[in-house]
Amino acid sequence: MQIWSWHGFFTYLGSPYIFRGALLTLGMTAVSMVLGFFLGLLIAVMKRSPQPWFSWPARFYVWFFRGTPLLVQLVVIYAGLPKLDIRLSVMACSIIGLTLNEAAYLAEIIRAGLNAVPAGQIAAARALGMSERQIAWRIAFPQAFRLIIPPLGNSVNGLLKTTSVTSVISMEELMQRSQILVQDQFMVLELFSVAALYYLLMTTAWDFFQRRIEHFAERPYRRQQRVIPEAVMELPISSQDAR
Amino acid sequence: MITLENVTKSYGSFQVLRGCSAKIEKGEVVVVCGPSGSGKSTLIKCINALETFESGQIYVDGTAVRSAGTDHSMLRAKAGMVFQSFELFSHLTILQNIMLAPRIVQKRETTEIQALAETLLRRVGLERHANKYPIALSGGQQQRAAIARALAMRPDVMLFDEPTSALDPEMVQEVLQVMTELAREGMTMMCVTHEMGFARQVATRILFVDAGEIVDDCRAADFFAGRCSERAQVFLRYEAS
Repeated sequence: MQIWSWHGFFTYLGSPYIFRGALLTLGMTAVSMVLGFFLGLLIAVMKRSPQPWFSWPARFYVWFFRGTPLLVQLVVIYAGLPKLDIRLSVMACSIIGLTLNEAAYLAEIIRAGLNAVPAGQIAAARALGMSERQIAWRIAFPQAFRLIIPPLGNSVNGLLKTTSVTSVISMEELMQRSQILVQDQFMVLELFSVAALYYLLMTTAWDFFQRRIEHFAERPYRRQQRVIPEAVMELPISSQDAR
Repeated sequence: MITLENVTKSYGSFQVLRGCSAKIEKGEVVVVCGPSGSGKSTLIKCINALETFESGQIYVDGTAVRSAGTDHSMLRAKAGMVFQSFELFSHLTILQNIMLAPRIVQKRETTEIQALAETLLRRVGLERHANKYPIALSGGQQQRAAIARALAMRPDVMLFDEPTSALDPEMVQEVLQVMTELAREGMTMMCVTHEMGFARQVATRILFVDAGEIVDDCRAADFFAGRCSERAQVFLRYEAS
């Protein structure tokens, strides 16, 4: 048996079977990330609430989903739901598991962002008569979002690879498909190299997007508009009385 | 316009406000002064319910502040507030800062708000900065923008909480200039400040606060002529030096 087969490597690289697996990985990541983000936002807001009947369930949620392995959560969902007569596809079970798990981590990231929004601006919004809901959507969330982009990027990157855990409930994503093909021709290195390349490609694409998002979110915080002499020129105090 | 009746507040065992009473009429410019930690800021923040108080009552234009039925949003729209550190919304441009609350809180017509915002920006000398973000402005400019933001709500009274304490002397002047004009136009104002020059020139009345009590409540002329408590006279001597 030869050490490395370039022929094998390129065959697998061009394989539609593997490619579709990568697409599934990408799709699962995108869907669970978006759903997890909104669930995480809800949990973060609940956890910050002074009302114990909001904060305690949220604390329990984070404690539970961060404290147990994703693998166990997936198996429980996959094997447990049919016993309650709820029949879902493997794909649906995978997305539910990933979403619930990711939301716990995202909740903590979002909470950190919300805590970092200047309290003075919240007070100013309140002084302008805004309701708590308006303050949340207009002031707190937009500012928190900018702060959490870097750790959020970590999460997306991590989730891209964590999706491979869904193979335990026979989800045929990139990793599972690679393993299936290994049993066919035993080209472990070639196949896993192809898989690694796909993961790299997807994380690189995400890096690119993250930078774009950051660039957009940082716009209000760049000082480049500033022209120093203006401060002096623009307010002729003496002429103000004439007006 | 504003009536304070026996306002009392404590943080744990520390009493910040001990039965503060005062009455502010329409068109008055009242300067609240006194040593740091005396409760001046807390007192002014009780008026628009940014701070709660345990007993006593405050009426703003006849509306009781400490009452379950009071719509705090309505109350706050009546009383514009300017903070020590400006607190402009850093993710919005100056124009957006000014237009946001009139639009979403008071649900006023966008065209009307825009026109008013532009007028206000001209008044505070910031018309060329409308589309900049707060970070691009100096402290004095940011504070003037914050004043415009509060005025855009068409408030009946303006509350200032040490509006110039975070500024260098030059910027202090540009902000005081705007406040002086506002006072001349007849705006009812209550201002916590250490700017005794401003108090001397603009204030109609002085409330001198020490250790949570309103020690003096007198006409500005009397206050500066020394017709006030001994405690205030000591304070004034330090301000003058």
